[in-house]
Amino acid sequence: MNSNTNKNNLQLSVEACVDTLPLAIAVIPWGILTGALGIQVGLTPLQAQLMSLLVFAGAAQLSALTLMAGPTSMLSIFGSTFVISARHLLYSVTFREHVMHLSLAYRGALAFVLTDEMFAVSEAHTKRTGAFSAIFALASGVTFYVIWNLATLVGIVAGESFENIEQLGLDFAIVATFIAMTFDQLKQRPVAVAMIVSGVLAVLLKPLFSESYIILASLAGMACAYAAANAATPTTQEVE
Amino acid sequence: MFWGLLLGMTAITFYNRYAFFARSLRYQPGEKARRFLSFSSYAILTSIWTPILFGYSPSSGLSVTGLDYLLAASAAALMTLFGVRSIFVVLISTAMFFVLRGTLPA
Repeated sequence: MNSNTNKNNLQLSVEACVDTLPLAIAVIPWGILTGALGIQVGLTPLQAQLMSLLVFAGAAQLSALTLMAGPTSMLSIFGSTFVISARHLLYSVTFREHVMHLSLAYRGALAFVLTDEMFAVSEAHTKRTGAFSAIFALASGVTFYVIWNLATLVGIVAGESFENIEQLGLDFAIVATFIAMTFDQLKQRPVAVAMIVSGVLAVLLKPLFSESYIILASLAGMACAYAAANAATPTTQEVE
Repeated sequence: MFWGLLLGMTAITFYNRYAFFARSLRYQPGEKARRFLSFSSYAILTSIWTPILFGYSPSSGLSVTGLDYLLAASAAALMTLFGVRSIFVVLISTAMFFVLRGTLPA
């Protein structure tokens, strides 16, 4: 029995929306920047908005727009898009067992709005209630999608009036939320190993691998945590 | 050029998100894979927030984004370790961050 069964879809959606808001607000400056930068590199307002509506991946969009400002090939933009968004593969495989029973349309919709933020908020909800909720994940993703696109629109319409908006410090909400979602399990040694290795490597690797440091640091952290967990209690396959 | 770019980027980001949701993929994570993946959220979230707080360059070494970031993040970490509910951790530490930002010398 888990608490999801006691809640209706509306309650779950509202809860997801509330949980996602701090993270959605934190990325508003980048949404605005994405819209404004689109206009700056010569896109029409429609084209700039379509990037957020269809690609819906902040870091990949900003990187592509920066590349478009200079002489570049389409292939190198595709390469950077793939590398930056490769961490979504990890979210996708983590959610796999929870979504396989859903319809094609439902899986497609969940995939379309799968972001760092939706993954984080859904994982926290799954931990809290003991079960994955597809409605919760979808509502979280849609909340984030709407805010990202509104922020892009603001950037397209009023881009030049926001100077240095990315230096307001709104990104602290990301730090606070992600600490609140992870530090409660710090007493488990493998989790602590995962966090220390990933955290240190991310800082050190960022200047060298500006596009892939998140996935590289995460995989290294997960591998070390896996080794630490196996040292404590081997999996049954290994016992056999 | 733009429309091809838009189409390609849309396809790439959607592929990365949908890849493991496809039924045609026969992969079923075993016990080892599931144990490995159970650490994914801790590893990824930490990899995202630590570079917001700390910077590194081979020439000038390690740096902190700001004392406001460091103090408010430490408060968030302590509150979480002491079992404060996450919504309050986020609200209190973010409020603290903006107060510090307004009062600390730049």
